[in-house]
Amino acid sequence: VSFETYLLSRCKIDGAHTLSGYQEHDGYKALRKILTTPLSYADVIEEVKASGLRGRGGAGFPTGLKWSFMPDPEKDPRPRYLAVNADESEPGTCKDRVLMERDPHGLVEGSLIAAYAMRAQAVYIYVRGEYRLAYNRVAAAVEEARAANLVGQNILGTDYSCEVYMHKGAGAYICGEETGLMESLEGKRGHPRPKPPFPAGFGLWGNPTTVNNVESLFNVPFIINRGPNWFRSMGTEASAGNFLCGISGHLERPGVYELPFGLPASEILERFGGGVWKGRALKAWFPGGSSTGLMPADTIDTPMDHDSIKAQGSMFGTGAMIILDETACVVRASEVIARFYDHESCGQCSQCREGTQWLSQIFHRIENGQGTMADIDSLETLAKSMAPGRTICALSDAAAIPTLAVVKHFRAELEAHVNGKGCPQRAPALAEADA
Amino acid sequence: MTDTVTIQVNGREVQADPSKPLIAACHDNDTEVPHYCYHPGLTPVGSCRICQVEVKQGEAPARVVVACRTPVAAGMIVETESARAHETRRECLEFLLKNHPLDCPICDKAGECDLQDYTYAEGQSIGHSAEPRRKLEKRKSLGDVIVLDEERCILCSRCVRFFEEVPKKAQLTVSGLGSRSTIDTFAGRPLTGNYQGNIADVCPVGALTLKEFRFQARVWNLIKSASTCGECSRGCSTTVEVLRHGEVKRFRPRPNPSVNGWWMCDEGRFAFDDVNASDRIEGALLRGQSGLEAVTTRRALEAIRDTTVAKTSFAVIASPFLTLEEGERLLELCRRLGAAPVFVSPPENGLKDELLHTGDPCPNRRGLSDLGFEARTADELLADLAGREAALLIGERITALMTPADAPTDAPTGTDEDTPQGLAALPETLRLIVFDTHALDVPAACTWVGVPNLVERTGTYVNVDGHRGQIAAARPAPQGVPPLERTLRELVELCSAEGVAT
Repeated sequence: VSFETYLLSRCKIDGAHTLSGYQEHDGYKALRKILTTPLSYADVIEEVKASGLRGRGGAGFPTGLKWSFMPDPEKDPRPRYLAVNADESEPGTCKDRVLMERDPHGLVEGSLIAAYAMRAQAVYIYVRGEYRLAYNRVAAAVEEARAANLVGQNILGTDYSCEVYMHKGAGAYICGEETGLMESLEGKRGHPRPKPPFPAGFGLWGNPTTVNNVESLFNVPFIINRGPNWFRSMGTEASAGNFLCGISGHLERPGVYELPFGLPASEILERFGGGVWKGRALKAWFPGGSSTGLMPADTIDTPMDHDSIKAQGSMFGTGAMIILDETACVVRASEVIARFYDHESCGQCSQCREGTQWLSQIFHRIENGQGTMADIDSLETLAKSMAPGRTICALSDAAAIPTLAVVKHFRAELEAHVNGKGCPQRAPALAEADA
Repeated sequence: MTDTVTIQVNGREVQADPSKPLIAACHDNDTEVPHYCYHPGLTPVGSCRICQVEVKQGEAPARVVVACRTPVAAGMIVETESARAHETRRECLEFLLKNHPLDCPICDKAGECDLQDYTYAEGQSIGHSAEPRRKLEKRKSLGDVIVLDEERCILCSRCVRFFEEVPKKAQLTVSGLGSRSTIDTFAGRPLTGNYQGNIADVCPVGALTLKEFRFQARVWNLIKSASTCGECSRGCSTTVEVLRHGEVKRFRPRPNPSVNGWWMCDEGRFAFDDVNASDRIEGALLRGQSGLEAVTTRRALEAIRDTTVAKTSFAVIASPFLTLEEGERLLELCRRLGAAPVFVSPPENGLKDELLHTGDPCPNRRGLSDLGFEARTADELLADLAGREAALLIGERITALMTPADAPTDAPTGTDEDTPQGLAALPETLRLIVFDTHALDVPAACTWVGVPNLVERTGTYVNVDGHRGQIAAARPAPQGVPPLERTLRELVELCSAEGVAT
């Protein structure tokens, strides 16, 4: 199957991260088009709605619909903002980094178009603190664009003005949650806010705000340039376009690949990832980052799109596949993941603060031979009391979902740990490491 | 007040204020919903998740929601006691209890602890956790008033929000992330200000305790009476809590939206040294051959009657601590004796703030002024006494308040201390009759009559804004000390030619 690629089209070109390099490849053409045609605000939102673009940050919410939630500025004169979620921290996910490092102007242009459509007067780009190169490249792109009258007052001589501000995160996963991100931008602890009120009504500093993922915004100039029908021609009916698939773990060629929605995961693994490494067999895989439930090997033919993965009881998430080979221990993997969520829970909600720690402790004991059969039931009971929708944000769900998945699909392996008083995989793995 | 809407709570149609969260609507309608992070005086944050109730709106299936962050909407059907609501809350409790230490037997909060109460209510007697409990700081001093037990803390953040929202000066924060979160002050600085004690009240568990109250009493042994604070003219509504032998262990704020909200200042909260002071006058004291001799109140009143017959130039000075009822009796006496009604008004004490404290140490200034008493400084009154034959000083703390403005407060040894000041400087020729709680050996004082203090009386104060606050007797007065109203009535009767009170 051959398919068209566009997201990574400039990423392989030297110098595409500069303004001149970007402009040689259709750079800022879409922004010029909406400002000089001119397209109305509503037209831009309609184009994005018609394209079927779904958010690439994990939840897959329709982007155009999200933009249309912003209140009518005629009736609500408050300032309005666009916040760009570039705090990419989900274990396994590393796609936005590629875009920001190699093609930062694409993000700036997408953000300006989104801000235009929502009549936001400022864009805040919240970049994960560890992404130094990405931050520097985007910050440099913003300055270049400003010098070229593409950012700031009266962009390209029109009435449209929009400021772009850069912000560097300080290392907390929870600041990638949209309301945690807004709190952090305001200079507070990154504690997610209870919803309602939603950001479109009460966001940054209490004003209407929309938070979009980097890859979502990156798609927008392409949609404006080539039209929603072109976009819909790729991917599936419900998940249009291409997505960036960051595939990692036990495979021959880990990396970030641009793929249309709907390709079977097995094809992605074999054709692009080079298959499971060292000729081994597949044991389990995560479809979209650590918070999506892991799936057994026999589900690897599932098409990678939101609905197909959901039908299998997991989530598409950010499309960041993680591959575990036959020698991997799913209990050990679950322990690592649980420890991550314990470490990153903001601590507001009781279930999440205590539950993430509890799960981590239980997985640790089972992996180290101190588990009981009752622990396996406890994992399930606890995870069910933590999710779904029991807490302010979805971090609790993110810890509960992989736990429920491992109990559902790999109970036998958990029981083997309990009965064998330890990890049956560990001895061969250690022997191999020694060899 | 916005228009109310009709909602259904546990099958009962009730009126609810749509500007408040659902939990307030339940509480307003006598339906208890457990809560830790929610406090009616603070912004709801919806973090403890214990207030989950089942709500059905329209055709959608019933959902379990946190009542503190759910807006009231007309037609809502709320079930607080459904099996699903209980189950969700029980699950939430299990998380809250996972790391909570089992030290209820030595915890000051036991008996009035929301965690304990809701745990009993949900019937949760067995925890499923096999993990070791978190080990944290058990007694971390947060300044002069508060001790923090980090292990007991359930991170509801009420204390953090209290400082942010009530005195509007943030002093506490949640430090650390997730299960490593603790409450801490900024940069380890101790807490300051006059409102620190409130965080021990808002703490739903025993994490924040008052140094003053630590290990002092079990709360179920405290006898509680609704009363009013006497430390300033705000007159915050309080609860006076006494042990069986009468010792006051706590003053706590009593919610009163038109006076103090849910709060009180530390100055008022810790004002029980005065009320607990020993060496009270029991009955009365008369100056005899060998100094002050104990007599019955009746005997002392007869002696006062004799003085009033013998002397003509009287001054009557009231304490600003008199209640309206006591003031009315005293007015009658003033009329009998032809004395102008005045009360001693000490200067402002510098504690005035934006929140509650008025800086005016006279709790019933407004009430006594309304009755016709005039405010005078101690200096004015002392100067006036010089020309009198006799004076009656009446009411709690009157002796202490009759201090000249320039009196040294903590004079170094061998200086002015030896020079008689204030009442002590009055000549023996003046017959000084004092109704107070404690006697002071000054030459002019010939008669002392014991009076009940703030926690032993019943009556009314009128605060700075005109609100009436009731004070109530939380314990009996000392042996032989009748209510001041009765003493004054008897004195009026004795002093009247007909022997009948008017």
